[in-house]
Amino acid sequence: MSESKFEKVSSLVDNAHDNEQQSIELFEQLSIDSVLGETWSRYHLIGDVLRDELLSDISLDLSIQIAQAIADEPTVLAPKKAKLLNSVKAKIVQFAKPFGQVAIAASAAGLMIIGVQQNVAQHDIVMPSQVVQTTPLAGFAAPVSFNTQSTSRLSQKQLYIEQQRRFQALLSDHHQQVKLSASKYNGQLLPTLQVEDSPK
Amino acid sequence: MKILSVLLLLISFSFSAIAVDTSSVKTPTENLPSTTPISAKLWLERLSQALQNLNFNTSFVVVKNNQAEPYHWFHGRDEDDLELEIFATLNGPRRDILRKGDVVSYIEPEITPYSVESEKISGPIPAILSGDISNIEKNYEFISVGRSRVLGRVAQLIRIVSKEQDRFGYWLWLDQESGLLLKLAIISLKGQLLEQIQFTHLDITDSLVDSLKQLKKADLPPVIDVPSTNKDHKLSWQVNWLPAGFKQIKANRHRMYSTKQPVEFILYNDGLVDVSVYVSVSDDEQRKVEYVMDGATVVLNQVVKGFEISVVGKIPSNTAKAIADSIGTSATP
Repeated sequence: MSESKFEKVSSLVDNAHDNEQQSIELFEQLSIDSVLGETWSRYHLIGDVLRDELLSDISLDLSIQIAQAIADEPTVLAPKKAKLLNSVKAKIVQFAKPFGQVAIAASAAGLMIIGVQQNVAQHDIVMPSQVVQTTPLAGFAAPVSFNTQSTSRLSQKQLYIEQQRRFQALLSDHHQQVKLSASKYNGQLLPTLQVEDSPK
Repeated sequence: MKILSVLLLLISFSFSAIAVDTSSVKTPTENLPSTTPISAKLWLERLSQALQNLNFNTSFVVVKNNQAEPYHWFHGRDEDDLELEIFATLNGPRRDILRKGDVVSYIEPEITPYSVESEKISGPIPAILSGDISNIEKNYEFISVGRSRVLGRVAQLIRIVSKEQDRFGYWLWLDQESGLLLKLAIISLKGQLLEQIQFTHLDITDSLVDSLKQLKKADLPPVIDVPSTNKDHKLSWQVNWLPAGFKQIKANRHRMYSTKQPVEFILYNDGLVDVSVYVSVSDDEQRKVEYVMDGATVVLNQVVKGFEISVVGKIPSNTAKAIADSIGTSATP
């Protein structure tokens, strides 16, 4: 209901209201209902901004609000990333409220920033493992594809790094041992192991 | 009589087109009957001879894990019949393998260069290809498949296939003219390509190329002594199952090359493939088996009852698992 009321106010502001009777009722409501009144003035302000008819002495006086908000903010010596993000988000919401529709765009932009930042934060988790994967620790070892079943004790990341290290170490040691084994007196082969039939 | 000669003429006419094609092909391989099963082995023997005796200068790329690693490869024999060989990586830090007769030097960024007294090079090309191919005849079959075009040349495809379903297959494309290797692929049991070596250029020369002449004059790093105690250590465990044909090359206790973790180690070889088995004490009591494939090389790692067991080699993961699971305490310590 209130939604359609705002719509009516909007059309009134735009001079697009065709029903005389209704406009008169709306005017009466505007003088009574303070929320509606605010909306009315806000819509006019938006219109002015859009038509570039804003008076130069209009001040939005954000500085005081911001200064106050900063003063209220507790001093955080070692801010945590996640909390910082939340407070930024909260501030943007605070900002947005008095500005109605204009602020929607701003808050969308704000959300985008937060979204991007969160994406970056997520990448932080994924990236190191990729770095680990492409850096061979030693030997001929090239990055390796793998399939794994991991347990729960350590973090996935640590487990992954440890596992990669293990694999790389084994690979390079294998290559090394093979090189050394080529040594000549291996020609006379050592006794063959008792090979039994497959337990496969 | 006349009819016969006309008939002969006709036949020779109709075959002349084919003859053009086969005559160039036939000369270097005239002793290769292309249909009998012996031909594939003869091709491989010819490859071995070519790899040992020709002066060649070639480049190839090793393609695995979606990466290509380029190499330069020089080989030749000087007037004194000394065999000279260089493998050089072209990308990244230098990793060269130099060979002068039966001294092979490995130059790698991680450790000081060293030499080993050996007749075979442990590099990207399986050493058996320049050795005696009949050594692996017992466990592998050689199949001549057909001709195709590789590196702009006529190539014969030869497959080296394991008799049991426990090892990978090797496909070799050999130059019709010189017998040299033009392409090599390692194929899984399901026919999947795991690793391949594609030659990108091949020059066969009469005399040694300059880099080999330089190598002849150069001093190689000192030959390291592999202490005999490092060779055949008695270990308290043993591998009870291996694919047929694998022989123990050495057993020892050493520290891992990069992590310095102490391990007990046995190296096996079937003539074509090397398999390493590692056993060490682990902090964990149990850890599920983990695999990784580096091209065709599988690395298997698991912890069973406080012992970490690893198997590394160019074998299918099932084979590696069977080897790892067959490890038990030694009957005679």
